Amino acid sequence: MKIKDKPTLTWIKKTLILILIGPFGLASPTLNSDRAYPSDNQHRPCNVIAKNGMVAAAHPIAAEKGLEILKKGGNAVDAAVATAFTLNVVEPFASGIGGGGFMVIYLAGDKKVTTINFREKAPAKTTPDMFMREGETDQTLRTSHGLAVAVPGALSGWDYALKKYGSMSLDEVMEPAIKTAENGFILSSTFSKINKDEYEKLMLTAGEDSCYLNNGFPYEQGDIFKNPDLAETFKTIASHGIKEFYQGALAQKIVSIVQKKGGILDLDDLKTYKPIEQQPLKGSYKDYTLYTVGPPASGGLHIIQLLNILENWPLGKWGCSSAEYIHHFSEALRFIFADREHYLGDPEFVDIPIDQLTSEDYGENIASLIDPKKMSEHYPFTEFNEKIHKKANTTHLCVVDKDGNIVSLTQSINHFFGSGIVPENCGFILNNHMDDFSSRTDSNNSPRPNHRPLSSMGPLILFKDKSPFLILGSPGGTRIFPSLTQIIVNILDFSMDLDEAIEAPRFFSYSVLGEARPLSVESRIPETVLKALEKWGHQIDIREDYDTYFGGAQGILILEKDGLLHGGADSRRDGHAAGY
Amino acid sequence: MKKYSFLLSLIILTWLVTFDLTGYIYENSEKFDQPVLITSAGQSAEVQLANVLSKRAGLTASLIKTPAEKDLEGVNTIILVIGASLKGLGAAGLDVEQEKHRVSQFILSVEEKKLPIICLHLGGEARRGDLSDELISTCVPRSRSVIVVKSGNQDGLFTSLCTENNIPLIEVERTADALTPLKDLFN
Repeated sequence: MKIKDKPTLTWIKKTLILILIGPFGLASPTLNSDRAYPSDNQHRPCNVIAKNGMVAAAHPIAAEKGLEILKKGGNAVDAAVATAFTLNVVEPFASGIGGGGFMVIYLAGDKKVTTINFREKAPAKTTPDMFMREGETDQTLRTSHGLAVAVPGALSGWDYALKKYGSMSLDEVMEPAIKTAENGFILSSTFSKINKDEYEKLMLTAGEDSCYLNNGFPYEQGDIFKNPDLAETFKTIASHGIKEFYQGALAQKIVSIVQKKGGILDLDDLKTYKPIEQQPLKGSYKDYTLYTVGPPASGGLHIIQLLNILENWPLGKWGCSSAEYIHHFSEALRFIFADREHYLGDPEFVDIPIDQLTSEDYGENIASLIDPKKMSEHYPFTEFNEKIHKKANTTHLCVVDKDGNIVSLTQSINHFFGSGIVPENCGFILNNHMDDFSSRTDSNNSPRPNHRPLSSMGPLILFKDKSPFLILGSPGGTRIFPSLTQIIVNILDFSMDLDEAIEAPRFFSYSVLGEARPLSVESRIPETVLKALEKWGHQIDIREDYDTYFGGAQGILILEKDGLLHGGADSRRDGHAAGY
Repeated sequence: MKKYSFLLSLIILTWLVTFDLTGYIYENSEKFDQPVLITSAGQSAEVQLANVLSKRAGLTASLIKTPAEKDLEGVNTIILVIGASLKGLGAAGLDVEQEKHRVSQFILSVEEKKLPIICLHLGGEARRGDLSDELISTCVPRSRSVIVVKSGNQDGLFTSLCTENNIPLIEVERTADALTPLKDLFN
């Protein structure tokens, strides 16, 4: 502590402090701790360039650990799984074995794209009205309660991918994460800020003794964070396999804490969880072909819809951050949200008109509904003439290996620090993805037994002339697909390089039951543009310069002609690309 | 003689630095009375931190994020935790303008009842920015004591506001370090 009215002593004090505490205070934090952590002033666009392989992830340590696996001879899937485990350690508030997600895999040898759906599913005892209390939705039950926890799928999905498409064993790819959890790492301002923001939830669900609090207080930037409980959990899984998590002692601990917190998840829910390998969803924009995951991930589908709509307008002429571009894009989003609300759910149980929603005719129709100088008064969902046929808050990482294999993986525990529930002495956080179900009881996406809640994730690979060109993804809830579309347009229409495209100012709008909601913008968008948008009817919600609300994208651009990989990572979080 | 006076100075300085670092010396003569109302200006999560600090300090306190005038009854001191959070504002159902207006009105009510305000800024550098700064400039000059986590005062905003208004300012390195000075502010 320091009193401000003793300035004359300052320099002497500083010298003495260094003499007195230097040998202890300065040396101890470096012992065995991972030194790589993001700088505070990191918003300047910076592309990482490499030739042989690259990993882009939401934290420098995770990207570096993934790269280690590539250098050891592992393929893209091995590195992606190693990175995912390490993210559980260094970015535990965003993803981990207590959550779920989706991945897109490109197998260069077979020129084949496949996707794995390891989204959480609802427990078998789920009912549509499970969050209703006295006729109203209780938001706490959906977010910070045992009922908020869906059956985790991450570990099962990673293991499936590794066994089918990887070349290394589970314990080999887990080793870097175990070491990081044991040795600790220096916390960034991002971690500390999120830890403080979620303090109330952590106190409510995890309590003062939680490993995610420091003697009952949030961690500060520069603190060293070790997670011996998580290291032990990982060692158990590495030795005994994922069965331990889904059927063994870890399963018992998960069920015990969830039920203690009022939840309904049971041992059978965990035992019966299976990831699903499914065909990719395909779309196009100009000369490019896009492969992504289909529902229950909605992000990819909405990106295709948005691009189909945007293709009808002269974006290059309007320019990035122009009032025309933001107005048209925002209006398109509001129509898309109307269709999302009406049609989307888990395709295992619900009919979704995917072909119609992703058609170019659909894009043209929505584009024609948008007034160039005025907001619409209402945003109805689209009615299709044909009969509908059945078709088949997060982190993102991308990997390219030396053989050209690719993984684009997005995963989450939903809100930062998920439900805040940590199984006893296990060191990982359980998701609150039950909150991704609709609050309505009559929606396609209402909570129902074994359904997977609708997600906004949209990991993707964009191809040019049948060769991979851009690997991209982002967290950010419903901002995911608008943000990813903006990045694609920034590159293809506004000629930005990858990291510049990622760092450019973002915006987001939506509608609920056909009614417009405010247009959220990063404060870097010029005031003159905002005034024009207000004139056209938009209510503006100005957010921070670089706001995590809009996600934290990671990407790799492949310049085939030059034989180079360009990595870009989002400074809205602690994004980092590493290559060799 | 010179050598001895240097050694003596060194001992005194070492003593000063040691005690200063461990938090035993403040130059804040005013003491405040309990019970305390802990509340927020900006709806950031730090209001919960202040609540835990006050519990550990043994204070008789209640936490109300958006208090009404009737909540001031029976209260002797206000702890106002400053820091703007869009998430917190959303959860409280408030927008930026509503919060600024609410805070101004609240301070007027407090001043009418002649209750002292202690301002806390616990979010550090991350909890600065246009809205937070506006709230800081509104609240700090009308307080009687300020505790701030050092990284939140790197540009000297709190120092200059406190100096201009003759308000004692206590800087702490970390949130947890605010415990002792907070405790010592109360009778």
